[in-house]
Amino acid sequence: MKLLRDIWRSYRRRDSVATTKGKLQLVVHSLWLHIHPAKVHRSHFRLTYTWYLGFVSFYLFLILVATGVALMFYYRPTTAFAYQDMKDLEFAVFLGKFTRNMHRWGAHAMIIVVVLHMYRVYFTGSYKKPRQLNWVIGVALLLLTLLLSFTGYLLPWDQLAFWAITVGTAIGAYTPWLGPKGREILLGGHTVGDAALIRFYVLHCVALPTLTTLLIMLHFWRIRKDGGLSPPPSNLREFESPAPGTRPVAVAIPVAPHPGGTATSASARAVAVALEEVSEARAPRYAEDKDIAFSYPFAFYREGIAFLITFALMIVAAMYWNAPLEELANPAKTPNPSKAPWYFLGVQELVSYSALIGGVVAPALMVIALLVIPYLDTRDVRAPSKRKWGIWIFTLVTLANVVFIVIGTFFRGEGWKLVWPWASP
Amino acid sequence: MNRRSFFFSWAKAGAAALWTAGIAGTAAAVKFFQPMVSYEPPLSFKAGVPEDFPVGTPTLLPEENTFIVRDRERGFRACSAVCTHLGCTVRWSSGDQRFYCPCHGSVYDAEGKVIDGPAPRPLDWYEVTMAKDGQLQVDKHRVVPRDKRLIVES
Repeated sequence: MKLLRDIWRSYRRRDSVATTKGKLQLVVHSLWLHIHPAKVHRSHFRLTYTWYLGFVSFYLFLILVATGVALMFYYRPTTAFAYQDMKDLEFAVFLGKFTRNMHRWGAHAMIIVVVLHMYRVYFTGSYKKPRQLNWVIGVALLLLTLLLSFTGYLLPWDQLAFWAITVGTAIGAYTPWLGPKGREILLGGHTVGDAALIRFYVLHCVALPTLTTLLIMLHFWRIRKDGGLSPPPSNLREFESPAPGTRPVAVAIPVAPHPGGTATSASARAVAVALEEVSEARAPRYAEDKDIAFSYPFAFYREGIAFLITFALMIVAAMYWNAPLEELANPAKTPNPSKAPWYFLGVQELVSYSALIGGVVAPALMVIALLVIPYLDTRDVRAPSKRKWGIWIFTLVTLANVVFIVIGTFFRGEGWKLVWPWASP
Repeated sequence: MNRRSFFFSWAKAGAAALWTAGIAGTAAAVKFFQPMVSYEPPLSFKAGVPEDFPVGTPTLLPEENTFIVRDRERGFRACSAVCTHLGCTVRWSSGDQRFYCPCHGSVYDAEGKVIDGPAPRPLDWYEVTMAKDGQLQVDKHRVVPRDKRLIVES
């Protein structure tokens, strides 16, 4: 019994979580949990403020890594085997179809949730000083999400995959100077074939996920370094015209000796007092101590529930909808109409007017605009009601994208002609 | 020149050398990813004997993505089936004598000239020669004017 108790203690290394000290130790002593401070502000976890979109993006990424690694056990990235392995996954492997479905729908969901997350951050002005760099990292993560989806799209090696990548990379080839050479290097040749398949496979399974993981870590770390999750603008109303030289550092919430709490060590208390003095001057003063909660259980329970809901929805989606798999890729037969993945259909719609402007210039301008937003919009105003112009423009550009995607998806038929979605072909 | 500034001037030169090496190394790394061998279908290929191709209707060679056009009894041409817009394979419509691209609606006439849609250039025409074994030989390296034909003496 003593042995078992020793093993358990060596793992636990903290007081009971019924005590204040235990709650603090649980977070601070854990490699994984100390992603949060020991205490958080309740308002940051209000559902209607963040909608947990950042968390859900991350959960979807985890689900995608798990299902993706599982699929790798069966998939061989050569034109001779790839399609056959997809068929095996569909019809022979236990839960193969389910796993592939979850991977496919998870990828689509991640794009939607990441874009919504970006929209939320823009809407609440959370990209403003000192969070500009984290916004830029976020834009890079959005692009990586799209690239991951795009590279994964080729792997089934069906007609959908082949032509979407043929068209998608041809759009990229219109980039002045870099375009044609870049396409050749990406495809490992001039057409989509074996060389392209192995390149996309390595990018999709190794290079891009690694880069994404590193940037996600940086993204999370910067949240803490920039003062935690940005508080809702309503909390900042009184800080919107700060005295010169001060800035609203949002969540430098000190681990203060808690009224109900008992033991913090002397040095921890000294640090806490020092932090409190700093934060007195710089952090927004929250009205009441009751607005502060221990991360455990307050934050972790909420995040756990968000994960369970995300996972449950993905399971339901994977059970009820099957990921498409068309016939084997055939370079000689272009399906009519031939469409890029849906998230690029807005671009394809623009490309049907002009390949250079629609396929290269417009997307590049959009990305550049996203990157410079936090450095151009330096007004210290976060409330959406005081940023009407910015919000209007951002919303309209986003909506325009959605409209183009809807047109490209549902209103384009044979020969890219406008058709009604309910008209039978 | 004292010892300190002497040391720093050499340190600067060293840093510059490191930067140069780094840039050269990056360029070399990019070169690594550029394919040096290709297993794609050859760009010069044999299409078949002249009798294989009907007069008036372009015949698609699916492997090579090329149409063989026999628009006169003895005249042969080869037209690219790759849309100049984004690389989809165009299809021939004999009803109105046009090439249609299924991807973004580009339309070409029988001469490969753009009639409608976003295509920036007409379709390419390739040189056709007669191989020693009597087959038509198409060379995609050689783009020729669209009125250049191979006349086969019968």
